[in-house]
Parts: sequence; structure tokens; C-alpha cells
Amino acid sequence: MVSYREVKPGGKPFKRAYVAVMLWFVGRAVQAAARVDRAVAREFDDLPDSFTFCLGVEPRGPFMVVGKSKKGRVKYLGWNPAGKEIDLAMRIQNMEAAILLFTFQENNALSACRNRITVDGDIPAACAMMRVIDIVEVYLLPKMIARLAIKRYPSWSFRRKYLGRIRIYFRSVLGY
Amino acid sequence: MHLPGYYEFSARVKVVSGHRVLEKIPAELRKLGASKPFIVTDNGVSSAGLLEIVTDSIRSGVTIGAVADDIPQDSDVCIINDLAGIFRERGCDSLIALGGGSVIDTAKGINIVISENTYDLMKFSGAGRLKRALKPLIAVPTTAGTGSETTMVAVIADHERQRKMLFVSYFLVPDVAVLDSRMTLSLPPAMTAATAMDALCHAVEAYTCLAKNPMSDICALEAIELISRNLLHVVNNPGDKDGRLALANAATLAGMAFSNSMVGMVHALGHSVGSVCGVPHGMAMSVLLPYGLEYNMHKVSHFIAELLFPLAGSEIFARTPKHLRAERVVTIIRKLNQDLHDATGGRHARFFGEVLDRHGAHMVEKEKIPDIARTALGDGALFYNPEDLDYDDMLMVMEGAWEGVPLKRNLIKSG
Ligand SMILES: [Fe+2]
Repeated sequence: MVSYREVKPGGKPFKRAYVAVMLWFVGRAVQAAARVDRAVAREFDDLPDSFTFCLGVEPRGPFMVVGKSKKGRVKYLGWNPAGKEIDLAMRIQNMEAAILLFTFQENNALSACRNRITVDGDIPAACAMMRVIDIVEVYLLPKMIARLAIKRYPSWSFRRKYLGRIRIYFRSVLGY
Repeated sequence: MHLPGYYEFSARVKVVSGHRVLEKIPAELRKLGASKPFIVTDNGVSSAGLLEIVTDSIRSGVTIGAVADDIPQDSDVCIINDLAGIFRERGCDSLIALGGGSVIDTAKGINIVISENTYDLMKFSGAGRLKRALKPLIAVPTTAGTGSETTMVAVIADHERQRKMLFVSYFLVPDVAVLDSRMTLSLPPAMTAATAMDALCHAVEAYTCLAKNPMSDICALEAIELISRNLLHVVNNPGDKDGRLALANAATLAGMAFSNSMVGMVHALGHSVGSVCGVPHGMAMSVLLPYGLEYNMHKVSHFIAELLFPLAGSEIFARTPKHLRAERVVTIIRKLNQDLHDATGGRHARFFGEVLDRHGAHMVEKEKIPDIARTALGDGALFYNPEDLDYDDMLMVMEGAWEGVPLKRNLIKSG
């Protein structure tokens, strides 16, 4: 007998978990970098206070939300954008695209070019957030892998790169 | 040939091209189920006598519901709402946009207001907010450059709230683009040069930036060839009808290329020079194009090299050793700017230092360069540029483009 079964959305639990962990870590690292790295701090300074940014996977997440408080302090606001007023949302269109991105098989810019990321919000803010994520990736990833993720690997001072990396890892893990 | 692992391409506009094709408009409207068009145009176009040519060519075949011939350069939401009112009042059922980018965008705005039956246009700003087909829209470009007749975007200002809104939807692509040589015949030489250089930039950036693909590449290559073969001749002989038609075709082809593959840093900086200093878009494009190529050279010299063929022809291409082709492309574009400068009696600018306003003052003041650099950092075209640019890179490119000296290659950072 034909069962006409309904296929519920979802599935791919391992990929979901992997992307969720990556997003969680990137979110906390953005918060940390805003306090450690001057270039990241400057990008956030130029954005309005209480600016909220969300990055995640369509349609059901996971997401990460980062925002500025009214006093301008950058904070990781968790994985759930529901109920928050989002100024800028960057949505990766499906789980496979997110995997390509977070396993660094496709660089950030290329993902945007290939319509795998849609941007909802102000374009200058989106440019700023892309730069922030590029910088955070340089901190978090070894050069060999970061080079795959970004267009141009920067030449930073020893201090910025290695001390910064330690401080950002430390803060991201502890979450402050 | 570069085949990316993934790409998207769409070019759904019907092109009607020829020396006397305005006469086809009534038949095209009928095919689209329309019989009473609303013509939208601006002062310049109507005082150049182009509106009359259009109305004379189509009046035997169709009732023209209304004509609005006073669209300002920076049209906005209020004007669009007023015109939509007239559209409804006169019982029109379609739009003919006669003009450049601003007129075509205004017509797209009116079309949204009418088709969605709304008074709040801004509700539909952003990507993908339009859910159904709009009224038939026929675009008749009167400059050969912007390529707006092929694009799915409209930029509309809201002066009250001091912002510009972007509308993106496949439903915004005009149904028909009518390229009639009579429409660009009276374009002055300097304008012809600048707008064609804008089209050249669309093609070159589409071909060298990150979203390039085989479909847009073909459009870009053909556009480049049409421009390089015809531009100088048309500037020297404004009455060259075939040349005019070739440039109009090139602009539309380049529009198809860049509306799919997008543009890069030349446009990012060009938009910013336009918004900070008011430099006309085509002029900024002419100046910046060689700099964009120089800057991206280390990343995409193999693609730039391929442009030598449509730019210079098969003979020069074959005679130039492979490793010199990309540099030769930059030289040829600089030479083209120089030739256009000479042919227009100095009106066509080669660098920003010689762009003057009506009173003979610099349009791009040197002190504004930091402002320009900062604004350019917020331009979405940067996503598509093959190499990254930070604030200092923007400054370096702008300073070179101001002085008219090539970029020092050892200062271009590669990582
Ligand atoms: Fe352009």
C-alpha cells in the first residue's frame, strides 16, 4: 500500500550540532575580540548603540546573536533570535552551505557571492560584520586554514596575533 | 573558460534592437495584454525631442494614457505616489520608461505601488518582498551605459526620511528593452564616452570578479568588443547610427553580465566618489577602471589577460606574449581614456585631479579622499571583489586616481 508519508523538516543532527558549536564559539569570540582587538572595537563603535546582529542557518537555526548594549558594550546574546529586535541578519541558506562555510571549503566572500548567504539589513553594517568575522577567524584559526576562509591573510605584529589569540581563546571559553 | 562549482544566471528581458524599432512597442504591449501605457521620462529627454519621436512612433498603434515628462534626477517616494495616482486616474495598464537609470527606477517604483495596490512603497523594500508579477514595463534607454533596462533592482530615495531604499526582485526586470539608435543619436560626445565607459566597467568587473560564470562571461566579452570597436568612432562621429546601436547593445549586454555577476571595487569607490563629491558615475568609472585592474592584478591576471582579445583584436592578442597580456589590457584602457580625452576637447577625465565643476573648481577635493575611502568600505560591491581592501588600500587607490599615476605594485598587499 502506498503510505503517502509526510516528510517533516529537520534531520542531519550531526551537522547541526557541529554548526551550532561553531556558531556558539564564533559568537563568544566576537564578543571577546571586541574587547581585545582595536580594529574590531572600531567596527562596532561605528555602529549604532543597541545594534543587534544575527548569523545562522535557514530555516530552523542554529543561530548566534551578537549585540551592542545601550552603553555600547558588545555581547554574545545566545543562539535564539526569537523575540529580539534584529538589525542585521545574515542567513546561510541551508545546512549544506553552512557546512561548506564552517569546514572552510568555501570562503566567506564566495559564499555570499554564490547566494548562499542572504543579507537582511543595512549593507554598510553587513560589510563591517564581514570584516569582524574575518578578523575573528584569523585569531581562531591556524594560518593554513584561515587562508581558505578569507581573501587576504593579514600581516599582524607578533603581539596582536599571538597574544591576542591567547586572550581571545581564553575569554571565549570563559565567556567574558 | 572558468566554470564555477556553483552559479546562478537569469536574463529574462526581451531585447528589441534596431534603427527603427520604437514602432514595435504597440505590438509588444498587445502581446503583454496591455493597451494604454503611461510614459515616464525626464526634462532632458523631452527637450532633446526624444519624447516626440517616441509618441509619434507609437500613437498610431496605441492610446497613450498619460505622459509624465518631469521626473527629476533624484526622484523619490512622493513623486512616485503622485504619478501612481495619475496612472490610476487615467486607467493606464502599463508603463514605458524613456530615459536613464533614474527614470527607469521611478517607473519600477510606480509599478510596485500600482501592482501591489499600496500607498506605502517602503513596505516592499529589500530583497524578495514582491510576490507577484507587476504591470508590463517597457524600457527605452536614452543613454548607452547603466544597463538598468536589464536589472532586477531599483534604488528609490525617501527624502523625508533621508535614505535610499533598495528593491530587489525578479519581477522588477522590464519585460522588453527597446534599443533604438535614434534614442542615443543626440547624446553629446563627453556623455557618450562616460556612459560607455560605465558599460565597459560593468563588463570588465563582471568578467574579473568573484561571481563570474560562463553565461555572464559571454555577455561581458561581447560587450567589451562592441565598445572597443565603436566608442572612439562614435565620439568622433556622433551621427554614426550603427555605432550608436552597437554601444546600446554593449550596454545591455554588460547589464546582463553585471546584474548576474555583480561588480567590484571600481564601483565601490565610484559610488562613493559620486555620493561624497557628486562626480557623475560614468566619469568616476573611466578614471577608476585601470586602477581596479592594477589592484586586482595579482589575483586575477589570467582573467584580465583574456580581455585583450575583445579589446585589441585577434592580431594583437596573438602577437602579445601570454605573460604580458594582462598588463597590456591596462595600458589599452588608459590609452582609450587618453584618446577620449583628446576627442572630447578635454571633457573626458583621465584622473580625478582634472575633474572640474561648472565654476572650474575641483569636484574631488583632496581633503575628501579619507571620506571617500570610509564610505567605500560600506559598499556591497566589495564582497565580489577578488582582493580585500581596507581603509589604507582605498586611500592608496584614490590618491593614485587623483594624481593620475599608476599604482605602485609593491605597495599592494597580498596575503
Ligand atoms: Fe556602473
